[in-house]
Amino acid sequence: MTKTFDQLQDVIEDAEFPVLDLALRRGFHVDRDSAAWYVLLSEGQDLLECFYRRYGCELIHKTDGYFYLLPTGEQLPRRQLSAQDMLVGQALALLYLDPMSLERGGIITREQVIEQLVAALGTAALMAAFLPKRRRKDEQVAQRQTRAKVGEAVRRLAALGFAELLANEQLRLRPALLRFAEPVRGLAEPAAALAQLVAQGEVALMDDELATGTQLDADGPTGEDETEDEAVFEADGGERDTDEAQP
Amino acid sequence: MVVAPSELNRLLSGLVERHATLALEALDLGFLTALFVRAREAKLASFGEAALLDVFEDVCAVMEPAAEQRRRRAGNTFARLREQRLLVRVDGHGVVRSGEFALSRLACAIVEFLLEEDVLTRESLTLLSASLQQSVNDVLRGAQRAAAASEQGAPEAAATLWTEQVIGPLRVTVGELVTGIERRQRGLDLQQEEFQSEIRRLLEADWFGAIARCQSLLESTSATLRELNELLLRDTNALLSLLHDIEELTADSKASEAEAAVLRVIEQVDSISAWGGARQCAWSEYFQYVHRYLRDVVRLDPSRALSQRLREQLAGGGARFSLSLAGAPALRVLREVVQVADTPNVSRPRANREREPVPEDAGDPHEVVEARVQEALALGARSLADVTDRVNAQVEPEERFVTAGRVAQASATLASAATERDRQWVRVEGQLEIEDWELRARTREG
Repeated sequence: MTKTFDQLQDVIEDAEFPVLDLALRRGFHVDRDSAAWYVLLSEGQDLLECFYRRYGCELIHKTDGYFYLLPTGEQLPRRQLSAQDMLVGQALALLYLDPMSLERGGIITREQVIEQLVAALGTAALMAAFLPKRRRKDEQVAQRQTRAKVGEAVRRLAALGFAELLANEQLRLRPALLRFAEPVRGLAEPAAALAQLVAQGEVALMDDELATGTQLDADGPTGEDETEDEAVFEADGGERDTDEAQP
Repeated sequence: MVVAPSELNRLLSGLVERHATLALEALDLGFLTALFVRAREAKLASFGEAALLDVFEDVCAVMEPAAEQRRRRAGNTFARLREQRLLVRVDGHGVVRSGEFALSRLACAIVEFLLEEDVLTRESLTLLSASLQQSVNDVLRGAQRAAAASEQGAPEAAATLWTEQVIGPLRVTVGELVTGIERRQRGLDLQQEEFQSEIRRLLEADWFGAIARCQSLLESTSATLRELNELLLRDTNALLSLLHDIEELTADSKASEAEAAVLRVIEQVDSISAWGGARQCAWSEYFQYVHRYLRDVVRLDPSRALSQRLREQLAGGGARFSLSLAGAPALRVLREVVQVADTPNVSRPRANREREPVPEDAGDPHEVVEARVQEALALGARSLADVTDRVNAQVEPEERFVTAGRVAQASATLASAATERDRQWVRVEGQLEIEDWELRARTREG
């Protein structure tokens, strides 16, 4: 499936372009599994890079085999992933690297995600991260709420192209998850690599309040009733967005 | 085998009635496997009791070298296997002499599964396909003969030919061959799963050094699957063509039983063909995923440090960061403005529940009572009770008590009492009792 584009008009007139464009603008990551979109982006990459630059953003193509849009100016709103989504994303990235998931072609269960988080953080820290203002003492309720929060985070990440939701609580891991490992991927010190990523606008450092997730609970007294909208916050303080982009 | 629900229920009930169970330990499986292999190597049809004991001893020596009382255990094992119809006595001499034993069909199937010998390979598929085509060709010729007999007006000969040369071979010979291919397909499925586990094990054991071996495994499996799929496509097409010819003959001759038999084989061949395509597709996805993994993960992280560093990062070893994303809000497509008809709420009309006061001439109650007492006296009432009765008869019951008092007052004014010392209490209208007076009407002067 190869397409040849001589000019930008050819790309824009492609039947796939409108939906792809909207998905990219909402933060979706396009990899080879989204075959039609990937081919369109690969073939029209030069033209689209110029196109999106005019909107103050960069069309990034990683060698791992995925595209995404990174805002560099003010024209296109930028947003940051929440602390909870970052935790779940890193756990998914760990599972992506694990040969165990390779055996099933990158298909894992939600239970494995929670197991990974528990192994890395411990149960108490995990619950503190996902229920920062928990008041109730009932452990069972807290655990159930934590599982629900992790499930919501997985769903949000899937909507951004980091995974694909399958039936029976399963999900297929996608290469864009390697973005979560970028600060520790190179040979440089993680702090230096992180500083470079911050300078490139790829990531933003979280202050303590954001890191503990308290920013999510500004609307509620207990932090137990926030919806998925609250987990994705926008740096410009604008409207919240929960729209899911799917190829 | 498609089983109707009622048939399935009958089969399940039969299993319950027969107490069908299987309980096998590792030693039992090892013993069965050893018997199977010995029988095949030595071309033995059965084993004497001594031979069984020898085999059991050998198996014990390998699988449970510390086991004691082996003869006793052997006896128990033989009994258990015979109860489960895995080992059958084949000589029929009973207690007269020591017996000859052989593995049952069930035992052979279990061992064959364990040995995973029934895997679809190019050789086995070619052989099975050739045999299958030969058998189907024979069936086609039989069907042609049966159809010819039908046309020549020999229905009995035709029926015999359909049964012996079409239905029988289709059900037994062709059916067995097709089932053989299906069984080998399942074997290949298991082998593929094993390949996938093998790739994981290789990477876990030797991260970077396993790349070549993994790629070799992937390539060889892909080649095998591709080759098998091509063979399956080619052979199943040829088979289906022959089977459709047979089906046409059965339909023309209205041989419904033969037609059902051939349709069943067609379904089986179709499913065999579909299996090839599905496995090829699934393996292709897996192949791409593993290649991408080897290229993007293993090759770029030869020392496998990334996982450890990422784990430390996740555990909070470094500065907290958050990925930046494009966050354009969803397009807001405004709806067309539609004039909505104003439908008022359903409600009762408001009404003034307060009644305006209406002036009524109530009159002076004392004057009324006085007039009535006057009237009663004029009519000849001579006691207070009589007067009270008459007046109270004209008022509402709740007013009678008050009226009785007023009557007494009016009577004292309009008449004079002429009563002895002890006055009697008399019941009057309205459940009242009054102290009665005898009255005399007064003159105007008096």
